[in-house]
Amino acid sequence: MAIASFQPEGEKGGSPFQAIAAMAQSALDAMPCAVCLCGSDGVILRYNRRAIQLWDRRPRLDAPEDRFCGSSRLYHLDGRHLPHAETPMAHVLRTGLPVGDIDVVIERPDGSRVVALCDIEPLLDARGSVEGAINCFRDITARKGREQKPGANDESRVVPLMHAFEATSQLAIMRDIAPRKDDEGALRESERRFKDFLDALPTAIYTTDASGRITFFNEAAVEFWGHRPEVGISEWCGSWRLFNPDGTPLPHDQCPMALALKEDRSIRNVEAIAERPDGTRVPFMPYPTPLHDASGALVGGVNMLIDISFHKDAAARQRLLINELNHRVKNTLATVQSVVSQTLHGTSDLRQARDDVENRLLNLARAHDILTAENWEGADLLGIAEAALAGHDADGLRHEIDGPTVRLTPKTALALSLALQELCANAVSYGALSGQSGKVSLSWSVDDTSEARRLKLLWCETGGPMVIASERRGLGFRLIERGLTRELGGEAKITFSASGVVCSIDVGLSSSAR
Amino acid sequence: MSDRRRVLVVEDEMMVAMLVEDMILELGYDVVGPAMTLESGLALARDEPLDGAILDVNLGHGARTTPIAEVLKSRGVPFMFATGYGSNALIEGFRDAPVLKKPFSMKEFTQALERLIK
Repeated sequence: MAIASFQPEGEKGGSPFQAIAAMAQSALDAMPCAVCLCGSDGVILRYNRRAIQLWDRRPRLDAPEDRFCGSSRLYHLDGRHLPHAETPMAHVLRTGLPVGDIDVVIERPDGSRVVALCDIEPLLDARGSVEGAINCFRDITARKGREQKPGANDESRVVPLMHAFEATSQLAIMRDIAPRKDDEGALRESERRFKDFLDALPTAIYTTDASGRITFFNEAAVEFWGHRPEVGISEWCGSWRLFNPDGTPLPHDQCPMALALKEDRSIRNVEAIAERPDGTRVPFMPYPTPLHDASGALVGGVNMLIDISFHKDAAARQRLLINELNHRVKNTLATVQSVVSQTLHGTSDLRQARDDVENRLLNLARAHDILTAENWEGADLLGIAEAALAGHDADGLRHEIDGPTVRLTPKTALALSLALQELCANAVSYGALSGQSGKVSLSWSVDDTSEARRLKLLWCETGGPMVIASERRGLGFRLIERGLTRELGGEAKITFSASGVVCSIDVGLSSSAR
Repeated sequence: MSDRRRVLVVEDEMMVAMLVEDMILELGYDVVGPAMTLESGLALARDEPLDGAILDVNLGHGARTTPIAEVLKSRGVPFMFATGYGSNALIEGFRDAPVLKKPFSMKEFTQALERLIK
């Protein structure tokens, strides 16, 4: 409302007061705001159409009972009654100083209320005396309603402003604050949204003032800490207790957030452990960051706490796995060493030895495949038997397998697999599978009459050439007769009958394999 | 009973046990075992006349040879561990016991065994 520029300097004729008083009513009514002109004693001299709409009445002109404002009754924003003699208009007429951006509540004759935003300019004569004042006011009820419903919190903000026009010294300040006040609702709304947004985040976040007192924390932080710190009282970090990664206590005033605020720098790549009131501990990585105002002064800090238990657990699992892998590789290499050493022992046929080493290593690999497919939890005997025999009799015409389902531990499965592969290799080289007509029958049964279940396995070759007992009693048979029996706590017996090799194996079944 | 030195072998991997057995025999000692379970190993450690022992650390299913080592220690029988874990995998309670890392060469094994029971 730039009424002050109403009178260009040096303009001839009457004062601004006289000019407005003499304005055509149609010109007043055309103005885009409500207008009310008062004389120096407060009597109402002119008003326009919009003023009537706002007041919902037509005050009498130049009448002592309707001074300062045309409304029937006025209130402060906080609901207190505002006598007409204390209105901003009365103040302007008294002091000769303008008042802008003042909210008042107008009560209409029917009791309904509207909020009006007033800008009042004093009108001075050539000597500087107050001839009157003009009030330009607008209905801002809708805007106020959007901001927020009046509540207890509003009063403390609004009251000092409303009282302010009673003190000249505060008017300038009031003019600054008043427009801001219009934005306050929007600001509060924005703050509320921001808080909702922070609460929705799954990461613990909190803020402190420059001295480290906690000013805000989100719900994820409450969950992380296991309790609710006191805003404005708790300092540096809302954790119940803090520890260094090595388990030594970490005083709150030495925590990363405290360092960040005391040294005014962001802190990264550090770890700590928070202990909740229930004693559970969370390893975490904090991201304390100082906050500054426009001038660069430290005003507080924001911290984000990342729970790194998952990473810690994963790292521990990985170490364990690498250790276990290393152990298995070393043991496997020792096994390979054993295979090579025993195959070469006492042999002069290097070509045969090379083939034997190769076959045995491949057997070992196949047995590992079966166990890996079962996640090293065990294997079925049928699968082991079929894998062994299929390698030498792919179409299955020359072997028979018969036996109930038996679950083997990884160790038993591996040992039996190697034993069966040795028997197969021998049958192919010298026994039933070396000619065209021989057959192999593999059958087994489980004896669970006693408490310790036993597996009785019979390998029986028929139709092959006569195998001489002394022939190739190498690693294969040694493995079966000595290694297998020891490893599985049983007995193995190989006989060389006229019809072919017969091998009976009797081993205990561990109850741990399911 | 011969007057050859007697060495207990506890090792649950069949092929490795056979290798160790061969190595010991080649050095001119007698093999006691090999035991592949904790129970059989404990029985041999208690009852057999022994000059030394070589123990695998883990026997599968979480069983460890430490009870066997306890028996040997109380009898004053020297022993060493053989393990696929790194040398930092010291065995609790037996941090002074020699550890042979698998796989080991005949030369390493010979030196270690001779140091153990000389």
